[in-house]
Amino acid sequence: MGREVSESCIDSLLIEMVSTYCNRFYANKPELAARRIEAIGYQVGHQLSERYTMERPRFSDHLEAIKFICKDFWSELFKKQIDNLKTNHRGTFVLQDNRFRWLTRMSIDQSPENGASEDPSIMADEKAVESMHLYFPCGIIRGALSNLGIPCAVSADISNLPACSFVIRIKA
Amino acid sequence: MIVCVAVVGHQNNPLYIQSFTDADDALKLHHIVHCSLDVVDERVNNPKKSGPTLNETFLGLLYPTENYKVYGYLTNTKVKFILVTTDLDVRDADVRNVIFQEVPCCIC
Repeated sequence: MGREVSESCIDSLLIEMVSTYCNRFYANKPELAARRIEAIGYQVGHQLSERYTMERPRFSDHLEAIKFICKDFWSELFKKQIDNLKTNHRGTFVLQDNRFRWLTRMSIDQSPENGASEDPSIMADEKAVESMHLYFPCGIIRGALSNLGIPCAVSADISNLPACSFVIRIKA
Repeated sequence: MIVCVAVVGHQNNPLYIQSFTDADDALKLHHIVHCSLDVVDERVNNPKKSGPTLNETFLGLLYPTENYKVYGYLTNTKVKFILVTTDLDVRDADVRNVIFQEVPCCIC
């Protein structure tokens, strides 16, 4: 397990993957592109969780597994831990990362240009592109949790960049 | 002497079984591995809460048969490693440290 690549390679690969799936493979079908990207993330998360849970003792309940995702898993992937974890104790968890590493290179164009009529559509486009980039980490989380025996659905929320929240809903 | 190593997936599906004896008892070893899966499930569902063994990955000696000893190891992702050995004077610590450190690393 000693091979390494540079982080800029990973960044470029992810950006290119999202762009290829959205613009070339499934050019006018963003739903399909999103599902494919999320499936790739699922595979990656599945295998990464196998590798990162090797030495540790087993988890006693769902909260332990989610805490593992927030601390060890996130540090291995992004060199930092999740900043905030909230739960409603009924199967929903919100993981908030105040500076999500893969979105730090993404520009946030907040200056209002001329013409208020153009703003909503441009902003909607930007939000759509940014949300495409979040399907991969959602898939990673979903794959990791299913390998630990917790089927769930994961969605992301980017109301204020560069902070990013992942909402995990455990399927009963 | 180790006679059989098995890796079993999380739905009790066999991923890898290899027996290391020359004799024709591969079927008997498969049967022993199959029976030991029940013991693993029992250990997981009824943990001995008195000891520090509640969430250990190494399950220890699962059960001794007439001339074999069976050891088990369970990962977080419910992948089970089963080891069948004929060594009668092997210690738990040896099995845990030597074998079950290396084998899971090879999988990842």
